[in-house]
Amino acid sequence: MQEAGNAPYNSTAAIATENLTRRFGDLVAVQDVNLRVSPGQFFGFLGPNGAGKSTTIKMLTGLLAPTSGRIEILGLDFERQVVDVKRQIGVVPEGLALFGRLTGAEYLTFVGRMYGLDRETCARRATELLEFMQLADQPHKLVTDYSHGMQKKLALAAAVIHGPKILFLDEPFEGVDAIAAGTLKSMLQRMIARGATIFLTSHVLEIVERLCSHVAIIHRGQLVAQGSLEELRAGVEAQSAAQAEALPSTGKLTLEEIFLHTVGGTRSAEQELSWLG
Amino acid sequence: MARLTSQSRGQLAAIAQVRWHILTHSLRTTKGALELFSRIVIGIVITAGGLGGAVLLGVVASYFVSKGKPEALALLLWPVFVFWQLFPVMATALSETMDSSHLLRFPLNYRVYMLVRLVYGALDPATVLGTAWLLGITLGVGWARPGVLFLWTTLVLIFFAAVNVLLTQMVFAWIERWLAQRRTREIFAVLFFLAMISLQLVGPMLSRYGDRSNATLHKISHVASPLQAILPPGVAAAAIASAADGRYVLAFAFLAGLLLYAAAVLRVLGVRLRAQYRGENLSEVARDARPLQGYAGVKPGWSVPGLSNPVAAVFEKELRYLGRSGPMLLTFVTPIIMLVVFGVRGRSGGFLDNSPDLALPIGSAYALLLLTNLIYNTFGADGGGVQFFLASPASFRSVVLGKNLAHMAVLAAEVVVLGVGVSLLFRPPSLLAVATTVAGLLFAAPLNLAAGNLLSLYSPKKIEVATFGRQRASQLTVLASFILQILIFGVGALTIFAARHYASPWLAVILFLALAAISFTIYGLVLTRIDPLAQRRREILTTELCK
Repeated sequence: MQEAGNAPYNSTAAIATENLTRRFGDLVAVQDVNLRVSPGQFFGFLGPNGAGKSTTIKMLTGLLAPTSGRIEILGLDFERQVVDVKRQIGVVPEGLALFGRLTGAEYLTFVGRMYGLDRETCARRATELLEFMQLADQPHKLVTDYSHGMQKKLALAAAVIHGPKILFLDEPFEGVDAIAAGTLKSMLQRMIARGATIFLTSHVLEIVERLCSHVAIIHRGQLVAQGSLEELRAGVEAQSAAQAEALPSTGKLTLEEIFLHTVGGTRSAEQELSWLG
Repeated sequence: MARLTSQSRGQLAAIAQVRWHILTHSLRTTKGALELFSRIVIGIVITAGGLGGAVLLGVVASYFVSKGKPEALALLLWPVFVFWQLFPVMATALSETMDSSHLLRFPLNYRVYMLVRLVYGALDPATVLGTAWLLGITLGVGWARPGVLFLWTTLVLIFFAAVNVLLTQMVFAWIERWLAQRRTREIFAVLFFLAMISLQLVGPMLSRYGDRSNATLHKISHVASPLQAILPPGVAAAAIASAADGRYVLAFAFLAGLLLYAAAVLRVLGVRLRAQYRGENLSEVARDARPLQGYAGVKPGWSVPGLSNPVAAVFEKELRYLGRSGPMLLTFVTPIIMLVVFGVRGRSGGFLDNSPDLALPIGSAYALLLLTNLIYNTFGADGGGVQFFLASPASFRSVVLGKNLAHMAVLAAEVVVLGVGVSLLFRPPSLLAVATTVAGLLFAAPLNLAAGNLLSLYSPKKIEVATFGRQRASQLTVLASFILQILIFGVGALTIFAARHYASPWLAVILFLALAAISFTIYGLVLTRIDPLAQRRREILTTELCK
């Protein structure tokens, strides 16, 4: 496991940050984060509520300016080559960034054209995406009338219409039913198979464990762990052994157990809330 | 209503407590403190209005009863009734209402839920004022005829107040129902907007048809008189008048009529509240299931010659947005409606009949003024979509340019329609009128766009296009817009004055074109600085628009 702050700044990485910091007044939301995501990785970015996940992803996608530090995407400096970077990435932000008064098809063609695709290509890809996402059966429905799951699928379709090399997803599975989640996962796995890099935040650790090859954990604004799942697992086991600590399970540690051990979130409910029965 | 259980009483106390906490916590911010201050000011105004109105109504009621005309009390009860019912509906457009459906997740029984709705719903200025005015009428009657009639009037007006409270609640409950869905909300917004326009037209119509108004009023009163007698204010007045004349059986019959009204209103209100209590799904998701008739894939976006892909895409998106918002569309047709109204010729001839060449410039200026609603908060309707603009590789300049072009296309279309309207209603505008209008717009529009682009970044405010009447821009934007309009109209007036002074009407066109060159330069300068500005303001944009 790579410890926080030790990740080398590497211009060949898909995503690399150097001492990335963001302050809101006196509050340091993200502090000296050094991330490194290699091309083709399915990367999970985890942390408890308020840890700095969304702030980090906003900085990585240009929605928020860092207070200090550097971001490099596919070897491009985000600050100096911002337009070139944006052409290479797709984003599903926290609020989905949809335009409610367009139909799904209009929204997709609009997004495609904003990324510089010609009209015919936009229309063709939009048709394919709507069909793949099972959104094509009600072409006249406005986005504002879509269900939450439909909106998530549309947001993902919009994020990939230009064929990005890196995809940033902020909580893509939040509030999504199993069927929609299946469609989303299928799309993401297809992208990974074709060499794209995916950076996602999620609270659903089971999904992250199943999908992601590499994980980073942020806690109170600081990166506390980064590496492959095996590296993280080995790190926790080694640390527990060194401190003569008993691990919660005797078998292979789950990501949830690694996460709780890393952020110190374990709590025994047995001694408390006795009235709950 | 049966006695409340201790659990129900505890729930009511908890709701009262949580509302108190909400009030005290709101004072932590300056905005909250200012809100309380404005409420206190409004409270003082309401108290003054309530006391003043009560005294006035009391004196008039006393006069009617002492002169043996108690049936004329209907003339006092009707304004109270109309105010009581209309004021809360108008206030809905200006403020958020309490959503009691949040309470449904708690184990409240229906009786407590209904009580909460009635109690908190009744705590509004209309109820306070209406009650004060009815009290004034009661005391006025008591002053003229103390004794049995005073007691009877008190009883009748208590029932009348109850009918008013229940009717207000019923209207509110159903309006909430309509506002819950986008389509019904938009229909409601259109009706509200038309009502507002109608009110503006009362003055011009009266001035045009003033000489006929007496006969019309007689006709209306002939029809309305029996109708008003069977509605609650008429019934309440008849109950008091019958008692004053000693016809107690009839008086009781009218009182029973009021009770029937209360029961009927309660029943209709109950239908709504029961539906809410049971839990209703007002989602439109499942309803729109139009089949795939002839669906042959996605059509390409609009091709707009001369515009780059992103600018054309934003242009198309803006026009689609405008076309799908009923209230927005009505904003644009208002100048045309006003022109039609003023164009209906009366016998005396109006202002525009005497100076028809002013119709096009005035109409166009009005159209531009209405368009500033959009221009000065151009990202307001995009809401969270602004994140897309920030994350996409298209420059913000392209986005802003696309929006500006869409707004100018709307203005141009509106000026053309106004021109056709002026030709049909008055006479074709002269070449000078057309040239002055176009030159004036070329001066005023780029300045408004430049200021609007800056204010849209500096002071954005999220707009929900389906709602109406709510503040659509920040206070800063309203103030800045106001100052700029004064400047533009001042410069415009000076230009016209100079042309008249030198007896050269075309001088105004030349001066406006010279000013337009300056306006375009300013617009261009602002546009070239939009990208770095948007980068600096992105946090404010996302914070304000993604709420």
